[in-house]
Amino acid sequence: MRTARLLALGWLFHFRMLSQSAFDGFLAILWPLFFATVAFFMFRSGHSVGGLAPVALGAAVMGVWTATSVSASSPLQRERRLGTLELLVAAPSNLATMLLSVCLATSTIGLYCIVATLIWARLLFGIHVPVAHPVSFVLGIVGIVVTIGSLGFLMAVAFVRSRRAWALGAVSEYPIWLVCGFLVPITLLPGWVRPISWLLGPTWGMRAIRAGAFGGDALPDVAMCLVLAAIYIGGGVLLLDTVLDSARKRATLSLT
Amino acid sequence: MNSLRVFFVGGLISYRALFGWLTPAVYIPALILTPIFQILLFAYIGRAAGSQGDEFYVIGNAIQYASVPCIFVMSQTIADERFFQTLGPILISPAHRVPLFLGRALPVIVNALFVAAFALFAGGLILSITFSATSWLRLVPVLAVAMFSCTGLGLITGAIGLRIRETAVLSNVLVGLLLIFCGANVALASLPHWMAEIGRALPLTHAIAAARAVTNGGTLGQVQGLLGKEAALGIVYTVAGFGLIRFMERQSRLHATLERV
Amino acid sequence: MANGPVIEARDLRRTYKTTTGVLRRKPLEVEAVRGISFAVEQGELFGLLGPNGAGKTTTIKMLITLLLPTSGEARVLGHDVVADAREVRKRIGYVFGGDRGLYERLSALDNLRYFAELYGVSGKAQRSRIDEVLELVGLKGREQERVAGFSRGMRQRLHIARGILHDPEVVFLDEPTIGVDPVGARELRTMISGLIAAGKTVLLTTHYMFEADALCDRIAVIAKGQIVGEGTPEALKAGVAEGRVTEIEVFGVGEAVVERLRGLAGVTAVAVEDRDQKQLLVVQTTGERELTAPLLAELDGIKVGRVTSREPTLEDAYVALVGTE
Repeated sequence: MRTARLLALGWLFHFRMLSQSAFDGFLAILWPLFFATVAFFMFRSGHSVGGLAPVALGAAVMGVWTATSVSASSPLQRERRLGTLELLVAAPSNLATMLLSVCLATSTIGLYCIVATLIWARLLFGIHVPVAHPVSFVLGIVGIVVTIGSLGFLMAVAFVRSRRAWALGAVSEYPIWLVCGFLVPITLLPGWVRPISWLLGPTWGMRAIRAGAFGGDALPDVAMCLVLAAIYIGGGVLLLDTVLDSARKRATLSLT
Repeated sequence: MNSLRVFFVGGLISYRALFGWLTPAVYIPALILTPIFQILLFAYIGRAAGSQGDEFYVIGNAIQYASVPCIFVMSQTIADERFFQTLGPILISPAHRVPLFLGRALPVIVNALFVAAFALFAGGLILSITFSATSWLRLVPVLAVAMFSCTGLGLITGAIGLRIRETAVLSNVLVGLLLIFCGANVALASLPHWMAEIGRALPLTHAIAAARAVTNGGTLGQVQGLLGKEAALGIVYTVAGFGLIRFMERQSRLHATLERV
Repeated sequence: MANGPVIEARDLRRTYKTTTGVLRRKPLEVEAVRGISFAVEQGELFGLLGPNGAGKTTTIKMLITLLLPTSGEARVLGHDVVADAREVRKRIGYVFGGDRGLYERLSALDNLRYFAELYGVSGKAQRSRIDEVLELVGLKGREQERVAGFSRGMRQRLHIARGILHDPEVVFLDEPTIGVDPVGARELRTMISGLIAAGKTVLLTTHYMFEADALCDRIAVIAKGQIVGEGTPEALKAGVAEGRVTEIEVFGVGEAVVERLRGLAGVTAVAVEDRDQKQLLVVQTTGERELTAPLLAELDGIKVGRVTSREPTLEDAYVALVGTE
């Protein structure tokens, strides 16, 4: 299938380009480590039950969202700066496919974050994260990368017209960390927030990874990740068509 | 050179640097919403960790976050000066350094002060924390000193930015380091000794402690030691920043890098 | 084979809405393209020639489906650019000048592979097609290098390679030689002629008159959003051929004097070019009578340098067309 090929190729090339960038690559990995460190100290000096392992896991996943939130919300901005946006729009291929491949590439950069955070936790804080069910663990990670990439895609489409999309992407960083239960159990959040948490793919991804690490059934959670990812992608594709049409009419896509 | 002119022209340039941030589309998410979200994030982490109370995090994060406008905008100001090629002429001028710096830094400091104050107010409100009028009166000078010393750090970042292009990375790293070391979310007493020492050498640490004391009923007199240290740090950073700019500028004459945009 | 014209534009118009002022924004309508019509036949190299801001890029963008016309219609290979955008995109190539438009961090080969995929080159054909275009543009052997290290000329060649990857029938080139050194530009022009030899139809925009003259079968001169002249280079030159061009070096001539020169009988156009300390007056005359003396008489009191007289070139035809409102 041509779309699949384009998706795969785009994902590969954008991943390669992002890995070489100091801002999108290096900083995306380093930034969550600051927060992880603070969180470790907070939990260590606090009076909570349960060790630091869940904190390390949560912090590891935070990075996946960081890598995605800023870079994914403004792929068009990058393309515009590079001058390639016109070529992408003028191609007979679907712009949605290309956008999705960029967003998935950014969340894949998050894999570096996961590894970096777990190593950081181990080396500097002596936190050992168990992996009770390796297969579930890996599935959980795949699930969260896919669902975060898809959520990033939806955001990218929603902010397609905005020249300041990076600011909007950045502002979503902390709320997602908070609401998806990475470091704070959902039960601690106000009641009205919980339905929102359940509608967000990363929440389920976090649960799946925890199940893989500490034991439990990860499959329903992974399934939810993928279902929500499909919904985000579907919604994004529909929205993109509408936005692009209107942009062509009013020359507002600012192709250059 | 007319000190007043230096003051205003410099002020205008840093206002311009601020301009990129002043569009509501950027300002509201970056400088109004995000600090509130950060406060909420850490307040809840604090609850999950069974660590300090909400007020601890409101004050800590409101002040720490204001380092973002201080550092980013100040380094952008320097970058702008380099872009307009006004840097060299000004540095070799006999202009007095105080109006020179103040002119550029004042809009930055005022803006950062507003960011911190608003975050304190709004973040606190959401968590049902309000500060008394006397607390506010005492907070303003504390915040002002904090922003002054942090802007000094921004001056250093700006100076480094004259040489390396990717200052966004450096600025983010500094903000991250402040998050860890300045006692915003972890009391210095809970940090290993060497980390606490680093924290005391950084801006904001003393001001955050002072702000916490002042909102707990302390008077300005009681925190003057802390404020003094903070101000002193600010002066040290500012002087270092200027020195670094002069050095970079001299280097650039050897390597022709200053005017490279 | 297309029956009708390959590219057809009928009364194309494009208006941009923008705002003026900072605090109180007033809406402003800018008419970039004001009723452009032309047709390009199969196998032609058609040039859109005009100064910056004339509307060339806006016109080309409407033809390649990046912009919707405000009114009017256009067809490429029989497909409407508005209703049938996808069909148009499959069959056209778009090449623009400048440094941008490529992924710097990827190699030339990776760039081509990505665009090959985007532009629908079938998987099996990709390898051979990429080899083909690399050979064609003379980048064979450099394809593994990152684009970041390419010179402007090399980037342009890569742009052309990218533009023809999917073997389009029509190729649109927007200022392809801009900023390229003369030798590189000449190579690019040879490549462009090669496209015609390969059976493609090419529409080129440029503001280099000699380029349009050398390459194009037909030219449309655009100024301020409208076509002010159309025809083969010879026909356009014939428009001024009977005349002569007198070039007068002057030192400091004011607008009033230039106006008076324009008013002289037999003078069709006067252009002033600044050359450092002096100016060059380029006076086009109908050539019926010897006008050097009256011209110099008007310039009495102004320091005059060299005076030469020559045949008009396409550039003069262009100036005459563009200069008139």
